[in-house]
Amino acid sequence: MEEIIRPAEVDVDRFDRPRRVGWLDLDAVFRAKLLMVGAGALGNEVGKNLVLSGFRDITIVDMDRVAMSNLSRCMFFEKGDAEGSILKAEALRDGMNSLADKGAVKAVACSIEECSTDLFEKSTAVLGCLDNIIARMYTNAQSYHAGKPYIDGGMEGFAGRVMIVRPPGGACLQCGMNRSHAKMANLRFSCTGSETTLYEPRLASEITTTSLLASVMVREIIKHVSGRNDLMLSNAFFYDGRTNRAEEFEVPLNPECPVHLQ
Amino acid sequence: MVLLPFRIKVKNAETGATVEMELEQNNTVDEVIESAATFWNKEMGTYVVRKGKKVLRGTQALSDAGVREDDMLELVPDPEGG
Repeated sequence: MEEIIRPAEVDVDRFDRPRRVGWLDLDAVFRAKLLMVGAGALGNEVGKNLVLSGFRDITIVDMDRVAMSNLSRCMFFEKGDAEGSILKAEALRDGMNSLADKGAVKAVACSIEECSTDLFEKSTAVLGCLDNIIARMYTNAQSYHAGKPYIDGGMEGFAGRVMIVRPPGGACLQCGMNRSHAKMANLRFSCTGSETTLYEPRLASEITTTSLLASVMVREIIKHVSGRNDLMLSNAFFYDGRTNRAEEFEVPLNPECPVHLQ
Repeated sequence: MVLLPFRIKVKNAETGATVEMELEQNNTVDEVIESAATFWNKEMGTYVVRKGKKVLRGTQALSDAGVREDDMLELVPDPEGG
């Protein structure tokens, strides 16, 4: 029997347009299990891109609560979330599920260091949307040892950076760190006698840089799950929003990096 | 063997400004980052230095990192916000 077609039939399929991207493997996107660490500004933008791209199985880890200052950059947070001091992971989960095709976004409200390492083992890939070096180092190391690709985003003002880590080969995030990173990490945990105080710098941040970095991060994940690692950024992507210039840098593997010594 | 001091230029990726720096071969990349950041009164933060497309390792001596007289390095912010 001949197949019957009807006008505008293609518009019934939610994913008709991405299906037209030849190399994009939507079934692999649907099946992928992602771990997303951090539910702030970058997490909101990454989360939006993930669910609209068709990712369905996403676990969000974040311990913070929504504040009023988040609302200029976080599409899934509302004034009521800030007034009610709602957990970011849960507010983001609810927002992503409302936007998703088949929502299976989960929220884990704790620091990534408190989570079971099973989360890494069971994931297809890990996305870092973090705001501090210590959590980045931990997430980078756990992803690397679990053999999972790690895509880390960082930004301040109009400056941004995305690092792609693809174990077992190549450099990891920590390979590119130096004494300035160690100083900032130490500053976070400054000990005064018996007390340890957590220093949280208030960094400049605005949505357009966040949005661009999140797009790069999710695009790289789509390439990876589609089996197109050949199209992926090889290493580090640096972006300067003031001039709208982006450049790919090479971060060489550091043989003294603790992640590679283990 | 006595190694003579040598000069390089360091560029500030955020402003485009450059500064000449006199160094010895055993100076490290970390020292270049700190000196440049201090010179430009940068706020405490995370930076990398690149030569061409390559990010240089902080602990490396400049001689090991392949930095030579008249080279141009660039100080680039490595932002940690999310």
